[in-house]
Amino acid sequence: MSVPTPETIIKITGLKKSFKDLAAVDNISFEVCKGEIFGLLGPNGAGKTTTINMICGLLPASDGKIDFQSRELKEIKSLIGYCPQENIYFPKLTCFEQLVFMGNLYDIPSDRCRERAMGLLEMLGLINKSKVCAKNLSGGMKRRLNIALALIHDPGILILDEPEAGLDPQSRVLVRNFIKSLSKEKTIILTSHNMDEVDRLADRVAIMDYGKIMLIDTPYNLKNSIGEGDVLEIEIIEESADKTAALISVLKHEYNIIQSGNLLIIKAIHLIDKIHGITSSIKEAGFTIKETKLRENTLEDVFIHLTGRMLRQ
Amino acid sequence: MKLLSIIIKSLKEQWRSFWILILTLSMGPFFIFVYYLIIETSKPHYDVAIINNDKGYILRSEPLNKGEEFILFFTGSVKDSVNMPFFIKKAHDKTDVLQSLKNKKTDALVIIPEDFSEHLVKQQDGDSTTPAEIQFYGDLTNVNYLLSALWANETMNSFIKVSTGSEDLIKISETGIGTSSNISDFDMIVPGLLILSVIMLMFTATIAFISEVENKTIIRLKLSRISTFEFITGITAVQIIVGIISILLTLLTAVILGFEFHGSAAVFILIAILTSISMIAFSLIIAALTKTANEVLIVGNFPLFLFMFFTGAAFPFRSEGLFSLFGYPVTLQGLMSPTHAISALNKIMIMQMKLGDIIPEIIALIILTVIYFLTGIILYRKRHMTLK
Ligand SMILES: Nc1ncnc2c1ncn2[C@@H]1O[C@H](COP(=O)(O)OP(=O)(O)O)[C@@H](O)[C@H]1O
Ligand SMILES: [Mg+2]
Repeated sequence: MSVPTPETIIKITGLKKSFKDLAAVDNISFEVCKGEIFGLLGPNGAGKTTTINMICGLLPASDGKIDFQSRELKEIKSLIGYCPQENIYFPKLTCFEQLVFMGNLYDIPSDRCRERAMGLLEMLGLINKSKVCAKNLSGGMKRRLNIALALIHDPGILILDEPEAGLDPQSRVLVRNFIKSLSKEKTIILTSHNMDEVDRLADRVAIMDYGKIMLIDTPYNLKNSIGEGDVLEIEIIEESADKTAALISVLKHEYNIIQSGNLLIIKAIHLIDKIHGITSSIKEAGFTIKETKLRENTLEDVFIHLTGRMLRQ
Repeated sequence: MKLLSIIIKSLKEQWRSFWILILTLSMGPFFIFVYYLIIETSKPHYDVAIINNDKGYILRSEPLNKGEEFILFFTGSVKDSVNMPFFIKKAHDKTDVLQSLKNKKTDALVIIPEDFSEHLVKQQDGDSTTPAEIQFYGDLTNVNYLLSALWANETMNSFIKVSTGSEDLIKISETGIGTSSNISDFDMIVPGLLILSVIMLMFTATIAFISEVENKTIIRLKLSRISTFEFITGITAVQIIVGIISILLTLLTAVILGFEFHGSAAVFILIAILTSISMIAFSLIIAALTKTANEVLIVGNFPLFLFMFFTGAAFPFRSEGLFSLFGYPVTLQGLMSPTHAISALNKIMIMQMKLGDIIPEIIALIILTVIYFLTGIILYRKRHMTLK
C-alpha cells in the first residue's frame, strides 16, 4: 500500500528517556503523518507511555527532539488532545460540567463547548450520564469520558494511551468505530499491547520493546513480510530440550517454524492441507499433542517473529 | 473567561465537598461557644447570705425595720452596677447557712442583730452608747469571703451614713479605665477567634489546591491553556468567599452570645479579606509541600497550632518586640499574618480605633501575604504545574 507523499506533523528524532539506569525509551525516531492513525504496539513496560508523555510535554526527554512543524508551545497545547492511560477526571463534576470546563480552559466559547460536550457524550454513549458526577461512573464509562475530554477542544492531534483498556466488549466496538470515524479529520497516535486493536485501527504500526522501535510499517505489510497465509499453533507436552530441538530441525526443512515454549508456530499458505502431515511427524518423533489451532496470521505473530517471545498482557 | 470557569468549577467542588466545608465553617462558632461557656462558668461570683433578726422599732407610732431596709439597699446597690458579681440571698436558718458556707455554696453570712433598728434610731438621736453588732461568718482563708465581706461591710457603712445622715470623713472616687471597663473577658477573646475562623481556611484552601494534584487533573490543567496564575486566582476567589462566610458566622455566634459589634463594618470586611488572602497564600505553600489531602491534614496541623497559639487567635498572646519599626513592634510571631489581623481587629473592635490607626497592621498583612504568595506560587508551580 503506498501513501501519497504525506505531510509530517510530528517528527521525532533520537528520543531517549532514562530513569536512573533504566533506558525506558532508547533512541527512537519516527514520523507521524497528518491524518493517519499511528499505532505504538508493545508489551507492558515497552516504553509506550513514556514516549507519549514526552510527546505531550508531561515528561522531559533525556535526549532527542520532538518537532511539531516548528510550532510554539502555546499552539501545540491546543493542537494536542490527550487521553492518558489512567483515567483522569474531576470526580466532583458531572460529565457535562467537566467537558465544558475543559473546553473553556482551551479558550473555546461556552456555547461551543456545550454543543461539543453534548455531541461527544452522544457519540460515546454517555448522553444519559451527562448529569452524573464522574466519580459515580463505571470503569468503562470513565474511559469513554476520558476520550471525550481529550477531544473537547477539537484538537488536530489525538493521543490515546491504551484507549481500549478497561472497556467491556460492547463499548470496545463503539470506541473503535468512534476512533475510526475521527481518523479522516485528525491525526491519531494510539498505544496498545493488543495486536488486534492496533491491527484493526492503525494505518501504520511501530512495534516497540525494551524502549526500542523494532519495525514500522502498515499492519498489512507487517503481516505479509512475516509470512503469508495461515498460522498453525501446536501445543505439545514438554519433552527434553534435545528431543524438541531435533524435532524443530526436522520440521524446519519444510516449514517456517518458531518455537515459543511448548508452542510450535508454523506459518505457510494453505496450511489446512498440511495439518495432517505435520501432526503425524510430531507424533512419530514421540511427542504428545495437547492442542492444535489453525488461524490467520496476526500482528502477534509479527511480534513473536521479531522478538522470539509472545506478548503477555 | 478561563478565570470565571475556574471560579465556577471551584465553587461547585467546594460546595460538593460538603463535610470539609462544614468542618471549616463550624470551627469559629464552635470556639466562640466553648469560650463563652468557659468564661461564663469561671466568672467571679459571690454569694452573700443575710439573716435578718431585727425586731424593728416603733418611732412616733410608725413601725420600721432597718434590717429589711438594709437588705433592700444592698440588693439595690448590686443591681445598680451591672458588673457587680454579688448575689444576695435572704436566709432564716443559721445552721443551714453555716453548712452551705462549708460547702462553698455561700461565701459569706451576715447576721443583723435584734436591736439593729433600735440602735440606729438612738444613734440618730445622738444617744448611742454601744454600736450595733453585725456578725460576719465565713472562711477567712477564702478570697471569695474576703471580697464578699469587704463589699458587705462597705455597703453597710454607706447604709448607716444614709440612714443616720452622718458625714463622710473622706471621699473615694473610682473611675474605670477608658472603655475597657465595659468590656468583658468574652469580648476580649472574640477578635482572636474571628481570625481563627479565617485561619481554618488553611484546610479548605490547601485541599482545593492539592486535590488537582491528587486526582492528577493537574495534568489536564497543565496541558490546557490556563496559566498557574489564573488557576490560583480562581481558587483564591472562592476561598475568600468561604473565609468571609466563616468570619461572619463566627461574628454572628458571638453577637448572639452577647458580643457588641463596634467599629466600621467596611474595615472589618477589609481585614477579613486580607487575612483570608494571606491564609490562602500560606495554604499554597503547604500545597506545594504535599501531594494528597491526607498529607495536608497531617502537615497542616503544625502551622495551625502555631497560628492558633502564638498569634493570639485562641488566647491572648503578648510578647516584647524584637525592635520597633516606625513605632510598630516587630516580633517573631509577626511573621505569621494572623498576628497583625488580630491586632487590627482588637484596635477596631475593642479599642474602637479607626482605619488610620491600623495602617501598620494592614501594611504588615499585605507584605506577608505577598511573601507567602510568591513563595507559594514558585514552589507550587515548580512542584506541580510545569510542562517540560
Ligand atoms: N517515573 C518512572 N520512574 C522510574 N521508572 C519508570 C517511570 N515511568 C516508567 N518507568 C519504567 O519505564 C519503563 C517503561 O514504562 P512505560 O512507558 O510505562 O511502559 P508501557 O507504557 O509501554 O507499558 C518501565 O520499565 C517502567 O517501569
Ligand atoms: Mg503504558
